[in-house]
Amino acid sequence: MISFTEVIDRAMTGPLMPEKEYDLKVFVPKLRQILKKYEIRHDPEVVVPSDDEFADRMFEAGVELYKEVGTYCIDTNRIIQFTEDEIREGLVTAPKAPMFGEGKDAKPYPSRRPESDIPPWCYVGAGGTPVSSEEVFEAFVQATGEIPFGDGVTAPSLANIDGATVRAGTPLEILACIKSTVLTREGLRRAGRPGMPVQNSIATAVSDAGKIAGSQFGMRPSDGWLIGALAEMKVSWERLNEVAYVTSLGGHVVAETCPMVGGYCGGPAGMAVANVAYHVQAILVFRGSYHLNFSIDMGTACSTSRQVIWGMSASAQAISRNSHFPLQISGLVASGPGTEMQPYEAAAPIIAHVVSGSSVGPTGGSPGNAVMDHITPMNGRWSAQIAHAVVGMKRDEANQIVKQLLTKYEDNLHSAPKGLKFWECYDMKTLKPFKEHEELYVAPRQDLESYGVKFTF
Amino acid sequence: MTGASVLDRILAAFVNSEFDEISLFVQQGVDEGLSPDAILDGALIPGIREVGEQFRRYEVYLPEMMMAADAWQEGMDLLEPLLAAQGQRGEARGKVILGSVMGDVHSLGKNIVGTMLQTAGFEVVDLGIDVPAVRFVEEAEKIGADIIALSALMTTTMPQQKDVVEYLEARGNRARYYVMVGGGPTNLEWAEQIGADGHGQTAADAVSLALTYMEGKI
Repeated sequence: MISFTEVIDRAMTGPLMPEKEYDLKVFVPKLRQILKKYEIRHDPEVVVPSDDEFADRMFEAGVELYKEVGTYCIDTNRIIQFTEDEIREGLVTAPKAPMFGEGKDAKPYPSRRPESDIPPWCYVGAGGTPVSSEEVFEAFVQATGEIPFGDGVTAPSLANIDGATVRAGTPLEILACIKSTVLTREGLRRAGRPGMPVQNSIATAVSDAGKIAGSQFGMRPSDGWLIGALAEMKVSWERLNEVAYVTSLGGHVVAETCPMVGGYCGGPAGMAVANVAYHVQAILVFRGSYHLNFSIDMGTACSTSRQVIWGMSASAQAISRNSHFPLQISGLVASGPGTEMQPYEAAAPIIAHVVSGSSVGPTGGSPGNAVMDHITPMNGRWSAQIAHAVVGMKRDEANQIVKQLLTKYEDNLHSAPKGLKFWECYDMKTLKPFKEHEELYVAPRQDLESYGVKFTF
Repeated sequence: MTGASVLDRILAAFVNSEFDEISLFVQQGVDEGLSPDAILDGALIPGIREVGEQFRRYEVYLPEMMMAADAWQEGMDLLEPLLAAQGQRGEARGKVILGSVMGDVHSLGKNIVGTMLQTAGFEVVDLGIDVPAVRFVEEAEKIGADIIALSALMTTTMPQQKDVVEYLEARGNRARYYVMVGGGPTNLEWAEQIGADGHGQTAADAVSLALTYMEGKI
C-alpha cells in the first residue's frame, strides 16, 4: 500500500483549488456523472435491497468516484489523488480481521458479507454523547460494559470537569480527555471487563492535542482511535496528525465517515456511492483498521429515515461483497431514551445493516448523539439482541420487517420526543434499569417476534 | 422574445436547475427594457423561493441551493445598480456575519443557513470554520452587520458562542447586533443562558429569526 508519508506529500503537492470549487465543480458533477454512467438509482419502494449485481455495480462506481475526486485537504487546499492501481492495491492489502481488546475480551473484528452467518461486532455505548459529570460518565461506561454481546465500547464525551465547562482548544480539553480515558478504563474494570476495547478514543477530544494527550493515560494499542473525515471527502491536518500518532504506536484507527443525504451527495444513491469512495479513503488516507460509517439525513439530522437506511444498506452490500476491509454502521436516532418510539427506531437500521454485511454501532440513544445526559444502556442491549437475532436472515425478509418498523416511527422523525436522562431511566446505585424503562421494550420485542425475528437472548 | 417570456425563462431556469442561464436572461430582460423591479419581483424572488421549496421537498439538494444562490447573486449584481439609480431598492434586507466558532470545523449546516439567508435577501459574510470570537466582532464592525450567526456542533465548542456575546459586551456594543446561535447540541435554553437573542434549530428557523429581527429593527 502507498505509504502514509506519500499521502502527506500529495496533500502538499496535489492540485490546488478553493474548497467551494472542489465541492461544486469536482465532487458534485463527478458524482452525478458516475451515478448516470453506472445507473445507480434509489428505489423508494425498497428499504433493504437484495440485488447483488446492483451492489457490485455500486462498488465499481464508488471506486471510480474516488479515483476522480480523491480527498481534499482543507489546510492546503489541495487534492490528494490516487491512481486506480493504488486504490486496488489498497483494497487488497487492507486489514481483514484486526484484533481488538485484551485478555478474554480480545477478538478479531469480523469481515462480513450480506446474509452472513458471522455475528456482527456490536459496538455499544454513548456514541460520544455529552454527559454533565464524571460520575455519570463512569456509571454509564460501567453499565455499558455489562451489556451481553457488547464487543467494544463507545464512551461519552465529558462536558464538565471538576464543575468547570470544558472548552475545546483549552487546557480544560486536555484535562477532560485525560479524565475520559481514566474513567472509561475504571468503568470497564468495574463492569468486570477490563480488556474490553474502547473504540471511539477520545470522544471528548476536539483537537489532535487533546486526543494524543488523553491517550497517554490508559489507552492501549488494542483500542480504537476514532478519526473522522469531513463531509464530503475532506481531511484536515489535525486528523492526519492523529493518524500519524496512532499508526506509530501500532494502534487501530477507526476511520469514521458521514456522507449526508441532502448535502453534496444529493439523494440516497449519491450518498451510497460516496460511502464506497469513503471506504477506499478510510484505507489509503486514514490508514484504518476498519471503516465506521454513520450517514444522516440533513432534513431530520438522524440515520433512521427510509432514505438513509436504503443508502447505508446498499453501500454496505456493495462494500462487503467486494472488500474484506471491515465495515461498521452506526447512526443517530431522532427520539430519546424512555420513549415508545426509540425501540422501533433503533431496530430498523440494525436489522437492515446486519443483513447487508455490516457490523453495527448502536449508541446510547441520545437524539443526534447531542442531547446532554440523554442516554440509556438499554438501547445498546436491545440493539445487540436484535443484531444477533437476525444473523443469517435473508435480505428480502429483512426488507419486509424494516418496512413494518418504519410505519411505527417515520412520521414522527421531525418532531421526535427527546426522552429522559440516564438517571431517569436507570437506578444510579445498582446501575439497573427501572422497571418501567425495561418494560418499554416488551411490546416492540413482541412485534418483532410476530414479524419473524427469533431472539436468542 | 417578449418581456413576459424572459421572466418565464428565468423562473424555468430556477425550477429546472439551469442556473448558468439565469444571469444571461436577466441581462436580456434589462436589454429589453424591463424594469429591474419587474425582474426581481417577477422572476428572481419567486425563482429562488421555488428552489427553497424544492430543497424542503428533497427534489433538489444542497448543491442546487448553493448554485441557485450564486445565480441569484449574479442576477442581483446586474440589477442592484439599476435599482439604486431609481432610488428604489438595492439594499440588502440586512447584513449577517456567519461562521462556525473556534475549534469547530463543521461547515455543511452553516453553509445551508448562509445560502438560505442569502436567498431571503440578506447580505451574508461567511467567515468559514474555526473562527475566533474576536474575528466575528471585528468583521461585524467592519461591514456594519445587523446579525451575528454562530454555529457550534459540539458541546465543547458551544462556549465559544458565549465568548462572542461577552466580547461584544466588553466592547460596549452588544446592543448593536442581534446574535443567533445554532448547531446540534444548542437549544433555546442555551441561547438564553449566554445572552444570545435567539436559537435556530433548523436553517429555516434561522431565516425566520433573521427576518423577525430586521422587522423589529425597521
